[in-house]
Amino acid sequence: MADNEDAGATVAEPLDLVRLSLDEIVFVKLRGDRELKGRLHAYDSHCNLVLGDVEETIYVVEEDENEEEITRTIKKQEEMLFVRGESALTTICNGHRR
Amino acid sequence: MLFFSFFKTLTNQTVTIELKNDIRIRGILKSVDQYLNIKLDDIEVLDLDKYPHLSSVKNMFIRGSVVRYVILPRSEVDVGLLEDATRREAANQAGKAR
Amino acid sequence: MERLSLNENPPNAPQQRQPQQQNTLGPASQPTSGPPQLPPQMFTTAAQLLDLTDKKLVLVLRDGRKLIGVLRSWDQFANLVLQDTVERIYAGKLYADVPRGIFLVRGENVLLLGEVDLDREDEIPTSVTKAPFEEVFELKKKEDSQRKAGDKKRHRELSALGFEPEHSGEILF
Repeated sequence: MADNEDAGATVAEPLDLVRLSLDEIVFVKLRGDRELKGRLHAYDSHCNLVLGDVEETIYVVEEDENEEEITRTIKKQEEMLFVRGESALTTICNGHRR
Repeated sequence: MLFFSFFKTLTNQTVTIELKNDIRIRGILKSVDQYLNIKLDDIEVLDLDKYPHLSSVKNMFIRGSVVRYVILPRSEVDVGLLEDATRREAANQAGKAR
Repeated sequence: MERLSLNENPPNAPQQRQPQQQNTLGPASQPTSGPPQLPPQMFTTAAQLLDLTDKKLVLVLRDGRKLIGVLRSWDQFANLVLQDTVERIYAGKLYADVPRGIFLVRGENVLLLGEVDLDREDEIPTSVTKAPFEEVFELKKKEDSQRKAGDKKRHRELSALGFEPEHSGEILF
């Protein structure tokens, strides 16, 4: 129990790094060709997340007139988003307060 | 259990769920369970033309594992409380791992 | 488990899981605060399915199949038994019904369950029309193979950007 107190500042396991990013802007890469950028408000051990002021980027592949594949992105905004953990591939913590 | 508790605080709020097959469903969050399966009432399927099989559905049970996002009403989320709960849960997890 | 009760629970009741978790988001000093004061048994899979028992449902499976039937039985894993089941297949702007009888569905294959509003049941959207099964089935086969080819192309392009498909190898529809 006493350990819980000094666990605040150290990075002993991977998710501790995520804990230090609480209330910071983070970048999350998801399965299914999506990326998110937003302020991290919550996470758990499954990597379920809640992000605020999120910008979602979706990558779409299209064919141009020469039948060459081009990648296009679609951007969407959400105020508050819960993200299911199994979707997350990587979380990058920018560490800059806005 | 953090997000189970979190979603319980959001019961009777209107949320929009985006599934992994891109369907977006808006409805009143009626119930949630430990797997984050979700029960929505009075649903409305956005882009119904693409998903005609859901046209006469009023209430819905959604398996947690097929959820990509839950779009939340920002006004109903106490961000500070949520971050504190996240830290507490992280400390609990760390305590358990030892 | 005992750590979950760190803040708000008396030490003599450590084994009752659900009630203790009710307020883990609330301030530690007010164990009974927070708006939803519903009984904890509301928040189980069983409670969610209980409401749907003996109702006419649309069931969407992981492989994309849509079944319409009456829910007669279920368990905590959301394994289901449907009676008088009809499989409805969609392709393009067409659909067709195939009578299937009784279905037992393993829970992990369930994507979602929708309760059919019996008053609106016959309002089929104008975007689709009924057609003979064979016709719809052929069209669907064509659509599926087209989509598969498209997915393959997309994944080839996007794996260069470090992406992975959301559901490897499965069609979620």
